[in-house]
Amino acid sequence: MADPETSMVSVAPPPRFEPDERWVPADERWFGLDRRTIRPTLAVFALAFVMSVVLPVVNAKVPYHDIVKAGDVLQLEGDVTFVPEPGWGIISGVRAGHAPLSGQYPATATVEKGAVKFTVHTGQFHGDANQLLDQIETTSEALNRGRGVHVTGVPTTIVTDQGKQGARVLVTGPHTAGIIAAFVFGERGVEAVATGPSDVGAEATAAVLRMIRSISQTGEGKR
Amino acid sequence: MTTTTLSDLDHARDVALDLSGWGRRFVFYQPRNFAFWGYLLLVGIGFLVFVSTLAREYDAYGEAIGLAVTSFAIYAGLFWWFTQHIDHYAKLPAKLMVVAFLWGGFAATGAMAANANDAILALYGKTFGQVWALNWGPGLAAPFTEEWAKGSGLLLLIAFAPRHVRTAFDGFILGAFIGLGFQIVEDITYAMTSAGTQFGANQVGASIGTIALRMVSGVAAHILYSAIFGAGLIYLLGRPAEPRKVGRGLLLIAIPMLLHGTWDSVGTVAGPSTLKLFGLLIATIVVALAIVVRVYKLTVKREQDFVRDVMAPEEARNVITAAELDAIAGNRKARKAYLKASRKRSERKRARYVLNAAYALGDELAAARGADTDRVRFARAEVARIRAGVPSPW
Repeated sequence: MADPETSMVSVAPPPRFEPDERWVPADERWFGLDRRTIRPTLAVFALAFVMSVVLPVVNAKVPYHDIVKAGDVLQLEGDVTFVPEPGWGIISGVRAGHAPLSGQYPATATVEKGAVKFTVHTGQFHGDANQLLDQIETTSEALNRGRGVHVTGVPTTIVTDQGKQGARVLVTGPHTAGIIAAFVFGERGVEAVATGPSDVGAEATAAVLRMIRSISQTGEGKR
Repeated sequence: MTTTTLSDLDHARDVALDLSGWGRRFVFYQPRNFAFWGYLLLVGIGFLVFVSTLAREYDAYGEAIGLAVTSFAIYAGLFWWFTQHIDHYAKLPAKLMVVAFLWGGFAATGAMAANANDAILALYGKTFGQVWALNWGPGLAAPFTEEWAKGSGLLLLIAFAPRHVRTAFDGFILGAFIGLGFQIVEDITYAMTSAGTQFGANQVGASIGTIALRMVSGVAAHILYSAIFGAGLIYLLGRPAEPRKVGRGLLLIAIPMLLHGTWDSVGTVAGPSTLKLFGLLIATIVVALAIVVRVYKLTVKREQDFVRDVMAPEEARNVITAAELDAIAGNRKARKAYLKASRKRSERKRARYVLNAAYALGDELAAARGADTDRVRFARAEVARIRAGVPSPW
């Protein structure tokens, strides 16, 4: 509690001088910089360098070998499966029967051989295969803005080994050629995209077509 | 019994103002501060990454982007209001909070964590297989990359604003703003990803669930993690107003990393059972909220002491009463008890106004570094006017 006598004196002290925030004490300057700020900033730079440069470089240097064996089947969300070609490398996606613990298969799987890449993506879709192909074209055009691959030719029909009818269209880009195929199983849309060099051989083309035709949905017959 | 004189109280006020940094102006442009350049570079890179992503995807997912940006802007506004609501004490400059928010939104995401997350998840897949990476990858990547990317922002802010970042509570508040920035930008990115899940069709329908879920869970996610981490970092390093407590600091840094890892692994731990998933999600949120409340109470005590030291001379000069001093330097319970002490509704209303005027006086005193300026005298007069029930002439 304040002393009642002295509390009657209400004169507060005058303002105390504080140097401007940009001011740096003469003994803390290093080439004009506040030397006290250098170490923490370098520590943050080091962390940013590790995260943005070191880790991506290490990842790029580490090879990945998960080669498809005969009989392998890749499974995606919504019970969609396809049979990858033996000898191709699995970039992403998991084999049927090896679901993550959550029970949820990923929505995308990618395999590649040399410069040819084959990706299958699945998601909800209300419409038929032609409408899905239109939607994929619209979204791709909007994302690419005229750059990259673009659709050439008219859509044609493709039928899977399961007997499911889909739509496909050829795409081309600078030194690139490919195919986009679309299928709709009930309310489940499936997009298959293969891209590679424009001079890709007949063997790779046949392999891609076999993978597209192997696309199926477990229990589709029951629906 | 020792007698405290007014000059003792004034001295204690000076010490409190010096230690807390309360009321000091924050200057952003500090060309001689290396942290300023580090901040500018990393936030600039992150900003360019974010804007170029938005620009690239806008034509395809414009509807979802518009919805996400609008929704999360409102969310950020509500959070800002909430922070003002819980921080009655030695407030940080609003400009510094914006600086923290921008670090979380741009530097911690686009310039740091996003690159590291992609690389680590790919490395997990290569080393342990795709299924293992899907199961445990997110829970063993993000807690390290994201928490440290955000936390490093506070380290930079300590160097950038050493006169302001003084207590664990400052770290708590700035950490929360860094987390908010991170959360908002990450949520917008998630909404864009959701917009593409149905091939770009039904964008709003595809992304609205993600937006709602991220908003609800966001309170117990990045904002909370970074607030705890921020307090921990200050304890670990020590500041003029916060003695170094290494053990406490390390614990408070480890806790959000553990919470983050748990949150990201809930789906894996729960397995295919929706009920188990739901139960685990709620349990994680409850535990996280209980911890953050505990950390808030732990850190805010020093700030309350600063308010008491700054306002005690006002009580001694009879500008405010002892009960008002206890209320403004106390917690919510103390303020409620003070307001409830008045019998009539009109008196309670006036008591609340007096408290608000006393808070304003505290801010003026801090800005004047305890000096008797015109603004301080006016703020004192306002307390007296409101107490007397005289209408404002202004």
